[in-house]
Amino acid sequence: MDPNTLLSVRDLSVSFRLDRRAKEPGFAAVKGISFDIPENTTVALVGESGSGKSVTSLSILGLLPAENATVQAGSQIIYGGRNLLELSNDELRRLRGRDISMIFQEPMSSLNPVFTVGHQIAEVLRLHMGMGQRQAQARVLELLAEVGIPDPLAKSRAHPFQLSGGQQQRVMIAMAIACNPRLLIADEPTTALDVTIQKQILELLAALQDKHRMSVLFITHDLAVVGEIADRVVVMRSGEIREQGTTEEVFQRPQDAYTRALLQCRPPLAHRPRRLAVIDDFMKPGGAPPATEDRPRGLNGGEPIILEVKQLGKSFFSRQGLFGRSEFKAVEGVSFKLARGKTLGVVGESGSGKTTVGLTLMRLHEATAGQALFEGRDILSMSRGEFKPYKRRIQIVFQNPYASLNPRFTVGQILTEPLLIHGLGGGDAGRGRLVRELLARVELPEASYHRYPHEFSGGQRQRIAIARCLTMKPDILICDESVSALDVSVQAQVLNLLQDLQDEFDLSYIFISHDLAVVKYMSDQVMVMNEGQVVEFANSDDIYLRPQHPYTRRLLAAVPSADHRIRAQPG
Amino acid sequence: MSKPTINAPARPSPGLWALAWRRLRSDRLAIAGLLIVACFLVTLLLSAAGLVARNWDAEVGVNYAPPTFVGAQSAEERGVEGMNAPEAAVPDNPRDPLAEVLRKLRAERGAGAAVAPPLDYYGIADPLAPEIAAIRAGEGKAAPAVALERRATLPFGADKWGHDIILKTIKGSETSILVGLTSALLATVLGTLFGAVAGYYGKWADDVFNWFYSVFTSVPYLLLILAVAAVLQQKGVLTIVLILGLTGWTGVFRLVRAEYMKHKAREYVQAADAIGASDLRKMFVHILPNISHIPFVQMSILTVGFIKSEVILSFLGFGVPVGVTSWGSMLNEAQNELILGKWWQLTAATTAMAVLVTSFSLFTDALRDALDPKLK
Amino acid sequence: MSAYILRRLWQMLPTLMGVVLLVFLLFNWVGGDPAYILAGKMSNPEQIANIRAQLGVDQPYWVQLWIFVKQIVTFDFGASWSTGEAVSHVLATRLGPSLTVLVPLTILETLIAIGLALGVAYVRGSLTDRMVMIACTVGMSVSILVYIIVFQYWLAYKLGLFPVQGWGDNFAENLFHYSALPILIGLVVSIAPDLRLFRTFFLDEINQDYVRTARAKGLSEPTILWVHVLRNAAIPVVTHVMSNLPALLIGAFLIERFFSIPGIGREIILAVERSDFPVIKAITVYVAAATMLFNLLTDLLYKAIDPRVQLE
Repeated sequence: MDPNTLLSVRDLSVSFRLDRRAKEPGFAAVKGISFDIPENTTVALVGESGSGKSVTSLSILGLLPAENATVQAGSQIIYGGRNLLELSNDELRRLRGRDISMIFQEPMSSLNPVFTVGHQIAEVLRLHMGMGQRQAQARVLELLAEVGIPDPLAKSRAHPFQLSGGQQQRVMIAMAIACNPRLLIADEPTTALDVTIQKQILELLAALQDKHRMSVLFITHDLAVVGEIADRVVVMRSGEIREQGTTEEVFQRPQDAYTRALLQCRPPLAHRPRRLAVIDDFMKPGGAPPATEDRPRGLNGGEPIILEVKQLGKSFFSRQGLFGRSEFKAVEGVSFKLARGKTLGVVGESGSGKTTVGLTLMRLHEATAGQALFEGRDILSMSRGEFKPYKRRIQIVFQNPYASLNPRFTVGQILTEPLLIHGLGGGDAGRGRLVRELLARVELPEASYHRYPHEFSGGQRQRIAIARCLTMKPDILICDESVSALDVSVQAQVLNLLQDLQDEFDLSYIFISHDLAVVKYMSDQVMVMNEGQVVEFANSDDIYLRPQHPYTRRLLAAVPSADHRIRAQPG
Repeated sequence: MSKPTINAPARPSPGLWALAWRRLRSDRLAIAGLLIVACFLVTLLLSAAGLVARNWDAEVGVNYAPPTFVGAQSAEERGVEGMNAPEAAVPDNPRDPLAEVLRKLRAERGAGAAVAPPLDYYGIADPLAPEIAAIRAGEGKAAPAVALERRATLPFGADKWGHDIILKTIKGSETSILVGLTSALLATVLGTLFGAVAGYYGKWADDVFNWFYSVFTSVPYLLLILAVAAVLQQKGVLTIVLILGLTGWTGVFRLVRAEYMKHKAREYVQAADAIGASDLRKMFVHILPNISHIPFVQMSILTVGFIKSEVILSFLGFGVPVGVTSWGSMLNEAQNELILGKWWQLTAATTAMAVLVTSFSLFTDALRDALDPKLK
Repeated sequence: MSAYILRRLWQMLPTLMGVVLLVFLLFNWVGGDPAYILAGKMSNPEQIANIRAQLGVDQPYWVQLWIFVKQIVTFDFGASWSTGEAVSHVLATRLGPSLTVLVPLTILETLIAIGLALGVAYVRGSLTDRMVMIACTVGMSVSILVYIIVFQYWLAYKLGLFPVQGWGDNFAENLFHYSALPILIGLVVSIAPDLRLFRTFFLDEINQDYVRTARAKGLSEPTILWVHVLRNAAIPVVTHVMSNLPALLIGAFLIERFFSIPGIGREIILAVERSDFPVIKAITVYVAAATMLFNLLTDLLYKAIDPRVQLE
């Protein structure tokens, strides 16, 4: 073994039993993978959901749930000359938190809610370094300062829920580096964070790695992040390693078809192909992305307007004190015009109010101010009865494909219901035919009619949701983070579908997302929101080439891209 | 454009209940529990139809007849000495208004009847019995054997009056199980309805139901039952069912309300709103199937609880009226019998109840695991 | 904080009024004219007429309600219909014995149940776990009546380890001599359901993300259970124990009755058997008020043990 290698994974195989009582292993999450983590290196483990990357990282420290996970014989994880998989529980515990530590994706739930932050950091100091109360306390303050938490003394006495997501993750990092580990495993640490915060955390991790000369195993699904911070890349799919090498090798000269597909499926910021490449384009023999010309976007002012929103406002009220109430302005003074057959992109981080705008236009929330003129009539001030016929003309596709379909309905029932409610389709036979046509249109097999949502993947469920909207032949479709929860490859498919539908049916989209690259790709105009207000509004190309507002600039700068590396490339 | 593939089985796909049943099927303990409960229910139906245990109140055994496997006991062992002895059983009651009459009758008849005076329902020897027997004999009718042919032992013994314990247990199950099931049904239906309306509509509807909920839960459950029992003078199965059902809905209410509030904010309900579904449709066509496992499981839990409550109520005398038997009244009798060393009625009632409740509970636990959406 | 307490007390009023209304409806409307009940207990017609006047049964309902409310506020319900003892005296003297049994019972049973539940949570999924759970289920399926009857018969009557029944004047004597068997029976009956419930609480916590973090830090399983999990699970445990307390008061009635312990539970049974309305009404209303105050106390305690709670 290379003396420079810190940790070596050899032939790791892990399988899961799905049922508590089943005797045989159910399904293989990791199928015999091998890779090395050298000293003082950031290794990125990349894959989509179901690739087995998280399972791999958990098995290093023996954190897999014992009830249903089995590591197969013959697997090895070599550290310090010993196979970690064969260590006793006590020996393993000595390594955890001291030699090898780990941070997780959801910092809020990964911290114990009832203990103070300082207590939780001190715990690992007392355990592994044998520090006393005072010594530990002093070290805690040092660590908090090192990870960039302002006012460490006050914060050390705070409870996790009192900190923001970014600060919580910094606390997790402080806990992880407290004992100067040789290896830090980071399991999707920035996935749940806003893009500007993500940038800060990535910079912090890079700085810490340099300073402490430790290695980092960074697990993520986002190739752009990989490009920014990793020295070596390991690409996984369905439990196998498809490719590994230095970042430069993998990004510039990808050998494997899947890697090539992953690199190409993201909507590029620089240009706008007519169709996005999808994984299948690469996986067939001789695969290559279809050559397409660019699609022009942008409005020049003469297009017919279908929806005009003026000074939209939505406030939430909560009780305060004995008699008062406080107002939280989720959306304030939002105005825009939506042209027929075009897409308006709404971009912002969490808490910007972008989702509230969409829900208010659908009247799922009642607006507190403003007007929305649809074909000349203000749909916000109509009574519920008057609004009913307009309901079918504005539809919405939600973010979470796992929550937006009723789990107890079959797909057929889901798609037939809107027709029943609005009296469309003319009879059972007519409705059945319409539904099957729509299933074909969104590229789902006809047999889906009798299936339940849980039998479909995320991307397929979004297709069902889109089909549901189409049953009513709407004019406006609001896509509320509709592709954010999907893997990159699936995202591309759904975006292509949405684009095809817009071309065919002349639909107008309001495309809400936090993902700037996707928004730029899909939209003609972009509206940037921050804390409930619109900070900038322009054609999408203009926003990206010539951002005016400082917040927009900050947002753009934070978008991860292989073009600007945070860490210098090794040698 | 390429077609995405689905690994779809050819059969129609199962819904929640089919999946749950599949999981349940492999749990042997649960199936055992279910079978035992089914046996009880079948026995119940037969008993209610009068096909078994119809003559449970016939005094077929001697008083306190021991179980067959213990063996017959003499009258002294059974502690009923003195109850059958004719003369000693008729103490001279100085204030007995009939004393004079009896003395005269006896004197006229001379040596008394050799027949032992039978015991009536209260185990008291009827002092007039020999005279009535004589009268009947004098009427020329073939005097029916006034003293019944009573067996010395019964399969599981007899109670104080000689009733067959096994028949009593079977008949008693009727009351306990019926009360348990129907009150649980009533409480579950009420709780689900109230919870749905309160959780879905919120605001003033929620306030009103929450007020009811607070009022009913401020008074401890048993206290409420006792208070109502004190006021309603007529006893009977219907009364108990109403009492238990009208006070027991609070648990289901709280759970269903919480679920409705949670689901109302879920995206599939918002989606239903977006396509134009009405409130009723959202409440009962969309949300209810998603939470239906909760009332179902709660009803099983309530049934067990109410069976136990009914036993306690009957024990205290607030349950079934006198002519009907139930496990509670059996336990009531048993507490005095134990001092006399007669343990069979206690054991029979306890065992029957324990077996039923254990089986039901095991089945309910397994049902809850099988229906738990988290497993998906 | 004080604003919160004031607001809660204010919100309690409608509920209390609701209970008063409920009791009133039950006893004055459904229960009707108590004359027929009283006639069996006191033969003196003037006494009966007096009570009827006191209750105002010939008056319109809202007057009766007003009388009832006055009684509640002044703690004066008159005298018991069966014993003639002042109801307020009844309540005051019966509380002590009840608490002498209940307080030690609650403390012991909570501690034992927590300890056992932690143990079972540690070996979760194993055969021991399943066996213990089944044992609990079987134990819970036997009626409390049977436990009382059998224990009283075996341990007190046959083996003479405890007094069969009774109560004394000396507190220590009551606590250690007369309460011992009642507390033992109470433990046997209540540990099983609590064990099951607490086990669920602990298992819910064990599956949380922060436990995974604690393991990743290198903490041992026992430490994780006793420090991290217990501290979090304490929240639902405390809620459960606190909200159960007022119900325990009445729930111990069977034990009190069998052991002739002069407590509130036994009093209520006697009152119901004798249709002694004033006693029943008084106990119901005051226990309801106590429950509401207890809920408020529970919420305040919540704030102390769960830092996430914001009282608004």
